[in-house]
Amino acid sequence: MSQTSYSAVSGIQHEEALLFEHAHEAAKSISLPGVEGDISPELQAFSRQEAAQIPGLSEPETVRHFVRMSQWNHSIETGFYPLGSCTMKYNPRVNEQVVRLPGLADIHPDQPIDSVQGVLELLYELQTWLCELAGFSDITLQPAAGAQGEITGLMMIRACLDARGEQHRKKVLVPDSAHGTNPASAALCGMHCVALKSRPDGRIDLDELKKHLDGDVAALMMTNPNTAGAFESDIKEICQLVHDAGGLVYGDGANLNALVGVARPGDMGIDCLHINVHKTFSTPHGGGGPGAGPVVVNEILAPYLPVPRIVKEGDVYRIETHDEQSCGTVLGSLGQVGVLLRAHAYIAAFGRNHLHKIAQDAVLNANYVLHRLKGAYHVPFEGLCKHECLLTDEYQNKHGVKTLDIAKQLIDLGFHPMTIYFPLIVHGAMLIEPTETESKTTLDSFCDAMLDIAAQCEAGDTQVLHDAPVKPFRRRLDETQAARKPVLVWQK
Amino acid sequence: MRFLPHTNRDRISMLESMNMDSMSDLFTDIPREFHLEEGDLNLPDALSEAGIVRKFTQAAEKNSHMGHHHCFLGGGTYDHFVPAVVDYVISRGEFLTAYTPYQPEISQGTLQTLFEFQTMIARLTGMDVSNASMYEAATATAEAALMARRITRKSKVIMAASVNPRYRAVTQNYLSRLPGEYVEVNMDGFATNVDKLIAGIDETTACVIVQYPDFYGSVYDLAALRAACDTAKCLMVIAFSDPTAFALIQSPGECGADIAVGSGQSLGIPMGFGGPHLGLLTCKQKYVRQMPGRVCGMTTDADGKRGFVLTLATREQHIRREKATSNICSNQGLMCTAAATYMTLMGDESLKTVATRSAAALHRLVSQLPKHVQAAQGARFHETVLSFENQQKRDLFLLEARKQDIFAGIPLEQLDDTMDARHLLVATTEMIEDADIQKYLTALEVIA
Amino acid sequence: MSIPANLKYTKEHEWVRIEGDTATFGVSDHAQEALGDIVFVELPEIGRTVDAGEAYAVVESIKAVSDVYAPVSGEIIEVNEALEAAPEKVNTEPYGAGWITKVKMSGNADELMSDDEYNTFLEE
Repeated sequence: MSQTSYSAVSGIQHEEALLFEHAHEAAKSISLPGVEGDISPELQAFSRQEAAQIPGLSEPETVRHFVRMSQWNHSIETGFYPLGSCTMKYNPRVNEQVVRLPGLADIHPDQPIDSVQGVLELLYELQTWLCELAGFSDITLQPAAGAQGEITGLMMIRACLDARGEQHRKKVLVPDSAHGTNPASAALCGMHCVALKSRPDGRIDLDELKKHLDGDVAALMMTNPNTAGAFESDIKEICQLVHDAGGLVYGDGANLNALVGVARPGDMGIDCLHINVHKTFSTPHGGGGPGAGPVVVNEILAPYLPVPRIVKEGDVYRIETHDEQSCGTVLGSLGQVGVLLRAHAYIAAFGRNHLHKIAQDAVLNANYVLHRLKGAYHVPFEGLCKHECLLTDEYQNKHGVKTLDIAKQLIDLGFHPMTIYFPLIVHGAMLIEPTETESKTTLDSFCDAMLDIAAQCEAGDTQVLHDAPVKPFRRRLDETQAARKPVLVWQK
Repeated sequence: MRFLPHTNRDRISMLESMNMDSMSDLFTDIPREFHLEEGDLNLPDALSEAGIVRKFTQAAEKNSHMGHHHCFLGGGTYDHFVPAVVDYVISRGEFLTAYTPYQPEISQGTLQTLFEFQTMIARLTGMDVSNASMYEAATATAEAALMARRITRKSKVIMAASVNPRYRAVTQNYLSRLPGEYVEVNMDGFATNVDKLIAGIDETTACVIVQYPDFYGSVYDLAALRAACDTAKCLMVIAFSDPTAFALIQSPGECGADIAVGSGQSLGIPMGFGGPHLGLLTCKQKYVRQMPGRVCGMTTDADGKRGFVLTLATREQHIRREKATSNICSNQGLMCTAAATYMTLMGDESLKTVATRSAAALHRLVSQLPKHVQAAQGARFHETVLSFENQQKRDLFLLEARKQDIFAGIPLEQLDDTMDARHLLVATTEMIEDADIQKYLTALEVIA
Repeated sequence: MSIPANLKYTKEHEWVRIEGDTATFGVSDHAQEALGDIVFVELPEIGRTVDAGEAYAVVESIKAVSDVYAPVSGEIIEVNEALEAAPEKVNTEPYGAGWITKVKMSGNADELMSDDEYNTFLEE
């Protein structure tokens, strides 16, 4: 290694047995409040026969058990996370603090409406902000995640088309570079996807689009910037063509980080868009969730928004639960409220005067990484990228090194790998999204690591890449074994 | 801006290295007409950190929280005690700010925690396996219906009307765009009518969905329904809203459920005005490949050491696309960590104490009710329906209880508009003390 | 790459062995190699009738999932239950213990490729 600017060293890590292997009688760690009395005789007849065998540890043991396990995780607080399409940015601590205020955390969703005006005010304000910054007229906060936002959007599109008497429109056009959730969501709405072949530069091909725009088209689902990190510059024509053919345009907001404060999808002709607040608005990923996927809509789709909705009358907020035209209910509550409140705090911190800096720095960082790596790695699509850049392993293939090897070597150098093998339209894809919260020092360190790996390939020094990772607590794990004979629960 | 590390000098040097003059050079691929000018957006000016704390504190103060109120509200969300350790563990950046564990070598913390979570949920519900969580209970119920349709290759879904109206609304909505019948079967009073459910089963039925304990807190025998489902080769799906119950009463597994789904909010997660909560989905081993959502499995690494990975990914949307078991692509990972921590602190014994005290509080309340208020009959866990002579009397009582800092129950018609406006859905947990019950009873005297 | 001479092949890389009116289906060596480590085979129900070209089974590897299409029409009379416990047999013995299903043929196999034709098809 020629560079020493990355910081991976072996840490102070411990093996930690499974909870179920901590071999001693369960210690009592909790003192509980409550009524010490009898349960009803009727209920006694239904007693559980055998104990569930939940082990139970004392409080100090519990803390050590989970803290030790936490130390086996990479996280945004410990290191760089250049996962393309995932927008892994810093999660402000003040957001964690404010959502834990008792007046926001310890409130029941069915309290009298006059006792929850404060939280409704924050949510309502978030609604107006998300509409404003994305360029739409109305919104639902209900969807629990981006994928659920997609279903919700398609449900509204279905309801709108049905109201127009166009029940036969069931075809959803999806670029071949799209996220896998798109076709799965369409199937759940009783629609089917038709893939559009991309242009050689990874963008939507207008001729290909026109070919498929017939009387059966319900919608086009698109991501802009697309999953290759490129802006669809023909966006206006694309939307116009779909509208002329009687369809609607669904925007996947996964990549909104490239546009926030700089341009608005709603101005470009998109009819509805889900916003991944756990990406763009920095709510923590939590090892896989919770997320939230509010959907913003224009006037065409607004009548079909899900219920319940938050309504403001004068200075009073209430919840509207009925609407004949609504596409229905998609979640058992108003939304992932705690997640949405963090997003509120994030937007408030930037405000009108700073919001555009999110997209500016995110795009600057992605282009900077692309610029530094483009000689050493193959760049499938030339030109500006937006918030993420796409490389492939084409040059490294000549030396027997694949994207997976590069990814695993990055782990040994202290970085989380980029998104690999996505989008599917290029072979050996590496999709890098640095986000705006990384410093130039970190970006340079990452680029140094990538350039070192490329140099190792050129020098034929590739064994270390195939062996990687060797530093983490566990080495390459046998996924075949896990899938052939699934062991999903512990048994002695 | 405090979250952005670049100085202007950094920005200029980076732009210069790319032969660019200004930030706008980075956006020349976006048509000019769509560019916003600085200040175009109608948003407030940026708030300082102190400003954000002040704003949220003021908003929070407009809400009445359980720090100084007594919560007799349930309906799927319960005010159980959350030990401080739970919030500490999920506040650790290594859990809080980690991505989905797709790179298992550097995600073993999340993965082993998920494996422990799955094991404990399977044990508590008495089921063979659990996935690594769903969004929340209503969508989990819808996913269970879809799962049953895939397994049986039949399409009719029978839903008991004593299932939480929100679970029903979401399930009905999810199924409404797909071929196949969806039928709701009425209840008797405020209890599930198993005979009517059985009568609705036919050869096209994929599953019967019941809630246990049901939405009105009723606990009842499912043996006859289980037998009927066996005969008709359809699945019995049990939904639940508070799994602490199963430390005390027969679990869904013991009742013979094929799939059991519900809310895990009671396991260490704050009510938080409805979310984020935790959806649970468990099933029999033989249906594991039809489960939606993520799942974690045990394996070994290149050195033969035990480790954990996300597995059975081919069921999921990013591979199977339109044929996926579900379009779900996230879970409630952090809430799984919270629930795993909670259950570890509790163990069998304290979980049973939570359930017993929750049920005991209800029993104590119900057995002291004055004559002019009727409680629903039959076995109840920690929730029941109180019926008043009329809406006026009920609402008068609610007002009086509020004066005593008591949220006395949810007017049933708010959750189910087919109901008369004279009932309250009332729930108790271990957070309710004797004194709170006495206050409740005193408040009832106002309508005597 | 193994391509036994006594079998017929499809462009989707399935093979069929015809003995009287019974046909045995499986996937070719090429197919198993392209899929990688097979972790699960979803078998069809006995008694189901399938048309030539219809998906009758699903083969899953770690990263991919693939429908398996019937080379000829017929009624499913037997499935290889051993694959439930040992799906890896599709990798190790694609033409032997890795067979997937047997059908009672109702159509013919005239459209299918011989071993030589399949070999040429693969080379193209």
